[in-house]
Amino acid sequence: MIGNQIAGFFSVGTPPAPASNYESIASYTLSGGETSVTFSSIPSTYKHLQVRWSVLNSNANADLGFRLNSDSGNNYTFHGLEGTGSAVSGSNKGTSLSEAYIGIGSGVSSTPGVGVIDLLDYTSTNKYKTFRSLFGYDSNGGGYIILRSSLWLNTSAVNAVSVRVTPGTFSANSSFALYGITGA
Amino acid sequence: MAVTYEAIATQTLGSTASSVTFSSIPQTYTDVVYSIMTPTSAGTNTTIQFNGDSTTIYSHTQLYGDGSSANSLRGTDQSASLAGVSNGTASIRGNIMNYSNSTTYKTYLARGGAGGGTYLDAVVGLWRNTAAITSITFLASWPVGTVLTIYGIKAA
Amino acid sequence: MATYVEIASVTVGSGGSAYVEFTSIPNTYTDLLVKFSARSARTNDAGGSDGKLEFNGVTTGYSSRMLLQQGGAYSGTSSTLFYFVNSNNSTSNTFGNMEVYIPNYAGSGYKSVSIDAVDENNASSAYGVLTAGLWSNTAAITSLRLTDNNGGYMQYTTAYLYGIKKD
Repeated sequence: MIGNQIAGFFSVGTPPAPASNYESIASYTLSGGETSVTFSSIPSTYKHLQVRWSVLNSNANADLGFRLNSDSGNNYTFHGLEGTGSAVSGSNKGTSLSEAYIGIGSGVSSTPGVGVIDLLDYTSTNKYKTFRSLFGYDSNGGGYIILRSSLWLNTSAVNAVSVRVTPGTFSANSSFALYGITGA
Repeated sequence: MAVTYEAIATQTLGSTASSVTFSSIPQTYTDVVYSIMTPTSAGTNTTIQFNGDSTTIYSHTQLYGDGSSANSLRGTDQSASLAGVSNGTASIRGNIMNYSNSTTYKTYLARGGAGGGTYLDAVVGLWRNTAAITSITFLASWPVGTVLTIYGIKAA
Repeated sequence: MATYVEIASVTVGSGGSAYVEFTSIPNTYTDLLVKFSARSARTNDAGGSDGKLEFNGVTTGYSSRMLLQQGGAYSGTSSTLFYFVNSNNSTSNTFGNMEVYIPNYAGSGYKSVSIDAVDENNASSAYGVLTAGLWSNTAAITSLRLTDNNGGYMQYTTAYLYGIKKD
């Protein structure tokens, strides 16, 4: 084990430095034309997941819809707090949906939409899965900044995360990265 | 195992300053995260520039609260864009996504606010330049004791 | 030292708990990060249950300013460090998703706190809040307590404390 190896370089009793609990699992950089991307076979060895994304896409204000374990049934909800640059709204955004709309693409050339999504206790079989996401884009005259939550009404451990853009396609240099955060 | 989340650099101010720059940012990460703590007010807004660029190619969309109402505003063609409000003892954090790519403009997310101050906010900002980010400048009336740190996150 | 390190975790057992607490927090990190997945015993508001964060067993000196999603968009203030989690009459098996960030927690100044908290519900009511908080106390933080204001936390509520090190 790494910890024992480190301890061997120091005097007896010196504890090894703790390892980082934030680890990269997988990432994708797209070539363009795709409509979805999937992280599959997600290890169950972490406690929490984080998805970090930066998207270019074909259509203005396209939704990014997230699904877990390839579930396309009407098992998702979302609620949000949104700023449009001139107005604010916060309300029920939807229930019994076929995906979690927790991302947005600008559809503007060279202008990424970005977001960070946190999913806690993704392996718990006692919990439905609640996403928390901060995302948005600015296009120098347009854009949104959004805090959004979403629910997957399923207690299964998460083993796959997929993202779909609607309408249109992802453009080249869109990127998605999945990270795992360990815990006792 | 490669390090995924790593502190790049930190600065703790021993005197007041109007700008703080992190330069020579390694290009080996995917995203840069910044964290700023101000012990007292740095003025209402903090702003950000990249690569020493002060031309008016920054913009932002902000969601903010003032304790009585929620509001949203936009800034276009700015010489710097909002990086998180700080009018008190504040915590400001930001995510500069895909900072080292040379193909797209650069978009970042920020959260700021001071519990004893007037405002809190969430911001999305844009720098309309495809250059890789090699330096970051934070601008405000930074008080003594301000701690600014940048971290790198590296995807697999 | 690694940058992002778990310090401790708590899972609420079958009897529930009025609060979740971390004690004896080492002063060897720069910032603290808490990830909190919680369900309250509250049964009279399916939208969520409010709670408060306190440090070192001290009940005074707190203030918050919030942006809230509570059927509409609002901003408010509080004399506590304010957040929402799921209530027990929200959709079953649903727990809130919250992150707390405390920079310079062991420093000698007042402590700023950032909280992003959402709860979910397969219905119209679900709350979200962005909180900017302040603890007007110069003591280093050695313990923190998350207390539900409406009856305590249910079984399977979890909290994870991480230390972030800047150098």
